[in-house]
Amino acid sequence: MSLMDNLLAGLSLVASFEVFFALFVGICIGVVGGAIPGLSATMAVALTLPFTFSLQPITGILLLLGVYKGGIFGGCIPAILIKTPGTPASSATILDGHPMAEKGESGRALGMALWASCTADIVSNLALILFAGWLASFALKFGPPEFFALILFSLTIIAGVSGESLLRGALAAILGLLLATVGLDLVYGTNRFTFGDPNMMGGLNFIAVLIGLFAIPEIIAMAWNPVAHLGKPRALGQSKVTFADYKRCFKSIIRGSVIGVFLGSIPGIGAAPSAFLSYSEARRKSPNKENFGKGEIEGVAASEAGNNGVAGATLIPLLALGVPGDVITAIIIGAFMVHGLQPGPMMFILNVDIIYGLFIGLIVSSVFLFIVGSVAIKGFRFVADVPKRILMPAVLVLCIYGVFAVNNNIFDVGVMFAMGWVGYLMMRYRIPAAPFLIAFILGPLLEDNFRQAMLMSGSDPMILIRGPITWFFWVVTIITVVAITRSVVSKDKLGV
Amino acid sequence: MTPRSVQLHLGATACLISLVLIFVGIPHAVSSPSNVSNIVLSPTFWPYVLSGFTGLTGVGLVLAGLRVNPSEFFEDEPENDSLGLLRLAALAIIMVVTMFALPILGMVWTTMLVFAFTAFLFRTRHPRTAIICAIVIPLALYVFFAHVAGVGIPQGNFLRLP
Repeated sequence: MSLMDNLLAGLSLVASFEVFFALFVGICIGVVGGAIPGLSATMAVALTLPFTFSLQPITGILLLLGVYKGGIFGGCIPAILIKTPGTPASSATILDGHPMAEKGESGRALGMALWASCTADIVSNLALILFAGWLASFALKFGPPEFFALILFSLTIIAGVSGESLLRGALAAILGLLLATVGLDLVYGTNRFTFGDPNMMGGLNFIAVLIGLFAIPEIIAMAWNPVAHLGKPRALGQSKVTFADYKRCFKSIIRGSVIGVFLGSIPGIGAAPSAFLSYSEARRKSPNKENFGKGEIEGVAASEAGNNGVAGATLIPLLALGVPGDVITAIIIGAFMVHGLQPGPMMFILNVDIIYGLFIGLIVSSVFLFIVGSVAIKGFRFVADVPKRILMPAVLVLCIYGVFAVNNNIFDVGVMFAMGWVGYLMMRYRIPAAPFLIAFILGPLLEDNFRQAMLMSGSDPMILIRGPITWFFWVVTIITVVAITRSVVSKDKLGV
Repeated sequence: MTPRSVQLHLGATACLISLVLIFVGIPHAVSSPSNVSNIVLSPTFWPYVLSGFTGLTGVGLVLAGLRVNPSEFFEDEPENDSLGLLRLAALAIIMVVTMFALPILGMVWTTMLVFAFTAFLFRTRHPRTAIICAIVIPLALYVFFAHVAGVGIPQGNFLRLP
């Protein structure tokens, strides 16, 4: 069949009120789910999955994809307003989004987040349609040595989120890597820092660490000085995002979208590293780099473009190879299977109408996201007007429920409290939390791929430079490290 | 705290953490089988490498701290406040008590108390709103998580909710 035939077959499948209504409802559920700290896009998709069983395959899958896309955007709302990312992918948005809210520009930050998210979403969907086969075949060539080199390169982004001191950022990253070693050893199954507690054998829960590190320190800081926020413009402010803002940030948005597409198409990387890498690149290239971390709108645009650029791209390995790109697409693959569909190359032959129907639905989802997002901003941003001494106890209660709900485990609540105090100490000693979190995410991947590579080669380290893909990542890592060192040395000479 | 004291404190703490991990933590808390063929595959290899890097970063922080002008200060440094310390201690107690109360009282009743105590600890100017929120928010979250999301919220030993 020709492309036109395929498109028409897809259109005939999706051209119904039921399908578009399901997509719209999915985006609404996702935005609300993403906007509630501790609920996360992953949990929203998982909770919606049982509701798709009675629906037609295309309707059910588009409902889930709507939740996914809405959830990734929705996470930015509490990240900007209350410094609590609704989803891990929104962690980078806090860095500039919350300082903007503190300056009374939350309306502008949320507006830019929406525009950047929708633009990245369109770019990501187009990439999915145009490059599905090609990019997926490239990612298929990645083995443990390639992943190790890629993750090592990803760790250099820590320099971009270290704030005023690279050494303190490095310390945070190493502590994050150390914390990630807690749990059973994946090769030998022996205990590492578990102290005999079965709760710790699976490692520390990521959501508990994330919320503990970002939300709880704010609550503790409020206990230290409950009136510190008074006099600060916490209200929305009258400023709105303008086309001039969008134009100024356009390069960063496109760059972030491309980073999101690239990292999203590689299984296992996810939206959070993409958002941080996009943020770091925007900071490095921006003429306003000194404003990053203090409320720079380009930082919000870049991080949101980075995490939303992943959403469509994670479907590339899912559809073309049947390999889920992240946790959420792993849940979505379940929806395919429930409906008797097996994602993979054969699906492009046997169920081409569903493939093209999904493509059409995804393009429409960007428009729906813009509409739902605009309404959600107006609704949710009133969180900023809630008295902070009522809001913070509410956030604490929400965090307790949200963290417990991930694994139905009270131990995770304790981990969250403990990490909250660690985060507070880090705040007082001016150690940035972002490198800690990035390293905590990437640590297990780095170690596992390193050890797998060593197992493959019989402990020959030459496997880590075995081919062009690893050479590429080693070269860019070295270039980045040299650039960072030069920048630190020149700053030192200038006495900055 | 001055930038110099922050760097020096952090550097010294990082060196101490590194030494404790290398000489106490890893040997006692990380199990490694005796038949590991190569050191790089050992479960202890990665923690030792990271502990070494922690120590190196600590040394770097101390050296950087020694080069900082002692008269420099942070402009946004929070003031020392004995009442603040008391409130921090109270919040820590609330958190510890929460951990013990969750399985006994159940999540709803515990979080109602947590909300109320925290709001008053923060000296809220809206005590009535705080009380209403302390009742409504945990109940609303319970309804959502227990009845919509199907999460088994702990009910406690005394008063069970439908």
